[in-house]
Amino acid sequence: MKLYCLSGHPTLPCNVLKFKSTTIMLDCGLDTTSVLNFLPLPLVHSPRLSKLPSWVSKDGTINLEKELKECAGRVFVDSQPEFCLPERELLDLSTVDVILVSNYHCMMALPYITEHTGFTGTVYATEPTLQIGRLLMEELVTFMERVPKAQSATCWKNKEIQRMLPGPLKDAVDVWTWKRSYSMQEVNSALSKVQLVGYSQKVELFGAVQVSPLSSGYSLGSSNWIIQSHHEKVSYVSGSSLLTTHPQPMDQSSLKNSDVLILTGLTQMPTANPDGMLGEFCSNLAMTIRAGGNVLVPCYSSGVIYDLLECLYQFIDNANLGTTPFYFISPVANSSLEFSQIFAEWLCHNKQSKVYLPEPPFPHAELIQTNKLKHYSSIHGDFSSEFRQPCVVFTGHPSLRFGDVVHFMELWGKSSLNTIIFTEPDFSYLDALAPYQPLAMKCVYCPIDTRLNFHQVSKLLKEVQPLHVVCPEQYTQPPQSQAHRSDLMLELHPPPMPYRRCSVLNLPFRRRYERVYILPELANSLVPSEIKPGVSLATVSAVLHSKDNKHTLQSVPKAPPAPPSKKRKRVPEEPPVLLGPKPLLSGAVPLEAFLATLQKVRRDLIVVFRIMSCNTFLCCKNKCEESVRRNKQFITCRAESAGRTRSWL
Amino acid sequence: MDADCASLLPGVCAVLAASGRSLPDDTSLEKLLDWFTGLTEAGGSLLEACPCLLEFISTVVLNTAVDPGVLSFALRLTGLMAATEDGYEKLQERSVLDQVFQLQRWREAGLWEDPCLRIGWILGLRSMLQHPKALCFFVQSDFIDPLLQLQTDASLFVASAANQMLAHILLFFQPVPSLGCNGVDKKEEDDDDGTKRASAAYAAALAAISGYLKESLVPKKYTALRQSLQILKLLALLLAAAGPPLCDGLLQTAGDPLEDLVAAGCSQLTLPLMDVLLAACSSSGFNQRVPDQRVGRLLSSMLDVNEPADLLHAAAAFLRRGHHSDVVNTTRAVRILLLPLHIVTGQTLLGTNATADGRRSSAVEQLKCKTSCISMTCVTLTNAPRIALLPLGVLPCAPDLIVTAVLSLLRICSGVSSSSPPGCGEVCRNVIGSGKVQKCALEALTALDGSPGATEKTSEVFTVLMQYLENPDSDPTVLHKSYQAFVKWTGVCTDLSFVTDQLRLDLVELVRRRACDMRWEVRDSTVEFLGQLAGLRASAATTEGTASDALLGARCTTPLLKEALQDAESYVRASAVSALAKSLTHGWQQGAAPSEDEKEIVSRLLEILSQDTEGFPRRAVVQYFASWFSSSASPSSAPLLMRCARSVLSQGSADLDWEVKVHTLELAQLLLDEAFSGHRGYRKVSDAPHPRAAVSELTRAPRASPEGAESDLAAAVELGVVAALLSGLVDCDRPVGLRACRLLMALRDAVCPPGPPDATAAVATVSCELPGGGGWGEEIRKTLGVESGEGGARVSVCEALRSLGLDERLDVLTRSSDHVHNSPLSLLQDILTASAAHTRADTQPGEEVIVDCY
Repeated sequence: MKLYCLSGHPTLPCNVLKFKSTTIMLDCGLDTTSVLNFLPLPLVHSPRLSKLPSWVSKDGTINLEKELKECAGRVFVDSQPEFCLPERELLDLSTVDVILVSNYHCMMALPYITEHTGFTGTVYATEPTLQIGRLLMEELVTFMERVPKAQSATCWKNKEIQRMLPGPLKDAVDVWTWKRSYSMQEVNSALSKVQLVGYSQKVELFGAVQVSPLSSGYSLGSSNWIIQSHHEKVSYVSGSSLLTTHPQPMDQSSLKNSDVLILTGLTQMPTANPDGMLGEFCSNLAMTIRAGGNVLVPCYSSGVIYDLLECLYQFIDNANLGTTPFYFISPVANSSLEFSQIFAEWLCHNKQSKVYLPEPPFPHAELIQTNKLKHYSSIHGDFSSEFRQPCVVFTGHPSLRFGDVVHFMELWGKSSLNTIIFTEPDFSYLDALAPYQPLAMKCVYCPIDTRLNFHQVSKLLKEVQPLHVVCPEQYTQPPQSQAHRSDLMLELHPPPMPYRRCSVLNLPFRRRYERVYILPELANSLVPSEIKPGVSLATVSAVLHSKDNKHTLQSVPKAPPAPPSKKRKRVPEEPPVLLGPKPLLSGAVPLEAFLATLQKVRRDLIVVFRIMSCNTFLCCKNKCEESVRRNKQFITCRAESAGRTRSWL
Repeated sequence: MDADCASLLPGVCAVLAASGRSLPDDTSLEKLLDWFTGLTEAGGSLLEACPCLLEFISTVVLNTAVDPGVLSFALRLTGLMAATEDGYEKLQERSVLDQVFQLQRWREAGLWEDPCLRIGWILGLRSMLQHPKALCFFVQSDFIDPLLQLQTDASLFVASAANQMLAHILLFFQPVPSLGCNGVDKKEEDDDDGTKRASAAYAAALAAISGYLKESLVPKKYTALRQSLQILKLLALLLAAAGPPLCDGLLQTAGDPLEDLVAAGCSQLTLPLMDVLLAACSSSGFNQRVPDQRVGRLLSSMLDVNEPADLLHAAAAFLRRGHHSDVVNTTRAVRILLLPLHIVTGQTLLGTNATADGRRSSAVEQLKCKTSCISMTCVTLTNAPRIALLPLGVLPCAPDLIVTAVLSLLRICSGVSSSSPPGCGEVCRNVIGSGKVQKCALEALTALDGSPGATEKTSEVFTVLMQYLENPDSDPTVLHKSYQAFVKWTGVCTDLSFVTDQLRLDLVELVRRRACDMRWEVRDSTVEFLGQLAGLRASAATTEGTASDALLGARCTTPLLKEALQDAESYVRASAVSALAKSLTHGWQQGAAPSEDEKEIVSRLLEILSQDTEGFPRRAVVQYFASWFSSSASPSSAPLLMRCARSVLSQGSADLDWEVKVHTLELAQLLLDEAFSGHRGYRKVSDAPHPRAAVSELTRAPRASPEGAESDLAAAVELGVVAALLSGLVDCDRPVGLRACRLLMALRDAVCPPGPPDATAAVATVSCELPGGGGWGEEIRKTLGVESGEGGARVSVCEALRSLGLDERLDVLTRSSDHVHNSPLSLLQDILTASAAHTRADTQPGEEVIVDCY
């Protein structure tokens, strides 16, 4: 079993798991932090941005006048922003059978994976994940296509030149793999490959493994995945939350008894408690409005914004903000607000029960009704005529490089009365603000990340007790800025297996068991002898037939080929815990002692077989993996009939 | 005892003797005993006053079928009656005492199993043991052994009572010739037979108890720990109050077992052991004697036990008792207490060679466990302020280093510390984010403001507190405590260079943001903080250049507080009103004319008083005006204030909340004080418990109507003071009525002193309006017997003050509202009534059943 790690970003993972005969991609997150190296895309012509000086190297030898601009000591690429894609060279993406998506933030690279790579598989996701993911992709495409840039800067990527560049540009890795945004057509094509699943629904993959999504509590429709065969279980935990905001609570118990648990998507802000941040957000907002300033909240169009609006709904009356308008501006604002109200079955119990009242589950419906919250697709059109200050504006993109937020930064940045409040944890706010310097407006950083923190995850792991944990290497050491905070890392026994971009891990567990069926006629020919009330044993000689990951014991052909001596030799090579059946059946071994051995052995050696027709069970000392490979091999089995009870051993 | 009670008592005794089950409630017997105790203490003899009681006791103790509760009552009553030598002898004559306290009988009747009876037995004997004869009886009856057994009784109450009783015997009868009045050998010259017997009895008791102590102090096995614990408690009780001979004797007896106990090092016994040793220490200290060397040695070994947590508790107990003359042990205790702080923060509190300390490694081990780490750190922190005030000689470091250590702990707790001491990462992890440690540390920091050298740390303290106040994750309690610490340290900050521009800007920004916090507790603490800082300003001797002024001037504070007057939470509005009062006090004291801002505030406050739906803000508003009035240099010359006073009086006295009314009367009192303090007859009403004292003193010297009273009274009427007082007088809430009554009496004594009314005096012409329409006016009119007119009526104030019967009203009002129900007579009646009802209920059901059958 192997794990190929295609992304180094711990919260935007993209891993491929090879398990039994299947190749499963777990999430395909798109690392958008690369856009911070680019100049913002203004919706309205910005004299300030257009007048930025070009960057020239100190000795004047490099002059990429068209490509690089300088602002407040930092250099930015003047081009359509580009994203850092998951690694595409590590393995042939056309071999991927399925892609399991855990939440809408972790599927933004989907078109890059499913299109133009030869991918022919299926994508599995829940309905809200698909729909909201579509909105986010649509929004991204609109943001980019609305402000087309003719030129594409590539010269700076030249290794020789990049080496000479200052600051973060010099250290950017794999810049040649950075790609511009996909098109709407590619989005549609990618999303057409999605098959919808519901929580706890079991999906069979080629008869070899079964995958099933579990609620992860992080966002609408967000899921963790269980990937299991009859005897092995892998859990994939990505972006989970124990906070009781709007989504269904996290299903923890189903993660128990995993052989391997792949852990990604922990909080990016381990020291910032979401409740405290939400409080900070509200008090800063109220303080600015009271002083007559405007508040700008760069955010994604789905997710935390629902919680922010709900919190404000309760807060505005308390803080005497009743008349202040709230604007939500996004190409998909309307759909996002409406979608949240219709996915009732994916909401937490509290919100679900409102639907039966009937009331909208989220209070933003009331904010819209009472005209306190207004939403627009863009700053153009109706918005400009109804715009009233002071106000609060929620808009994207949180990177401040594209979207309507760029306009508000240009508009409000000069006044110290205004405040920008960052709530999304994905981008460093200092980097986001860099091309707007010097900036007079106040900046407040209240990153709200509801995903599991280290304390919660240690508790979770203690509870579910996986045999092995795999996680991004970032989780195995304290954050660089707080090297002494040993509480901000995973400490497990055995220690977790760390991965980084381009790692290939051999997962440390060997498959020991395989399920084998026995044909009815063969089962009928067995002569179990009762050795204890309710327990019978029989020997069986059969041919093992294996096809489509299904193994069957068939009767030995009438004229069996002469057993080669080599095969015989194998028998004494087997672990000697259970010797040949003969002495046992002849009563040479006392029954109790034998059953005790059986108990002991069952855990580590004996393979459990199931008879197709009558639910009788067999214990076999064979190493099945070998036998699967060597079809039609003779095996000796010791059978035990469970009689009427028909239960597993 | 009054005749009514005396006549009812025999009936009650009969009821009790017949069956105790029909009592009105289970406290009746206790109440009866309280009553009897009161009678005995007042010097009466129960035997003489109610002979029926003796009868009752004799009957009851023979009847073992009586409810154990009643039996227990009889036992205690017997003890009470035998508390005097007289009573004792009378009871002895009729051999009641033997009957009552004879254990054998109770055991045979199977009643001894009932803890109720056992405790009755102990308490009865305890009441009786007030004279040597009782002691002789006690010893001769061999009650010591059963009592010692009861010390480990299954019932905690019995065990504790037995312990108290044992201590009482040894302490009450201890031979102290010079001091004692109870000592059995107090009259040496009068060496009669009785005294000899009593001495012998005491010696026997002492021998028995000492023997028991010696025998049972060291637990034979782990399960006997409770006995040791009880004995240690007894020893602590005894040593704390025993005179030198007894004390020495006890220490002699218990010395060896105590040494064994200390050597055993049992965690559960650490604190009781410390109690005993410290009691031994202080009793010798009290008597100015050289402390027993053995006790000192034992104390030293207690401060040397192996278990770090026990050690810490022992040291804390030692320090709490304040035996600071014992330099060696104090130094040791301080080092023990500072060790956890030393380890967690890495500050070299104990010097650099502390690493060599053998205790360190075991303490580190213990600190690695989260719960014990938190509890040990908290013990250290609680004691830190006390340690910092100790003389330099016993401290291992400068006291300001303790402040530094607490600050560094606070930094670690909030996770902002940039490093952890080497090798203690695991320990530090236990305190990161711990709210309990944060609160303890902040409390310690607040208390450390007065420690020597602390002022040097002011700037560092401000920095850390700002971090806490800025931290979005700080719990509201933590924020509150941070604010408290901030106020305290600002109060001691005299060097304004600590108040940097950056600090001021940060603080202004912070309080602005916190005043908008989502949690009302935080908004409330913030508003309160603003008020307290302003309070510092007002109370400072110089107004210029105080740290609080430099930090937050009124220019920043007032707008925030005005905003908070509109807060959605009533507590915050109330705090804002109080804080405004504090922030404006300074201006009032100066007699400055009210600014536009202040006028606006006043109108908003009056709005709150008339419209706010919650009581707290309205109470605060009335108090605001009261404090304005009291801090104003010349209130009567402030027209705005006087105008407001009038509306506050009229609205406040009509409020639905009784506390608003009481505060309104406080304002009325201030107005009266202001107007009449110059008059000879006027006495300021204090909240003294005996209002009659002030009044009766006045009546001794009748005076003629004082001059100028008329205009002052007319002004008081005009302001609505008299109306407020009159309406308060007939209020249905007792505290309101009481206060109004006292004030009216003070007014009466000032304007129309006792003596024949002089109708021609100018003051008699002042009248006030009694509104019509069924309110308080109606009630006053009824009391005065004035004809009720259509609209209202005017009455002469003096006339009214004389005829309202204020003295009688005061009598009624000063008694608690349930005084009628609490009288012994009512108790006796209740018992009789309940019994009658019970008897009826007993007989009727049978008949009813028959009726039902048909």
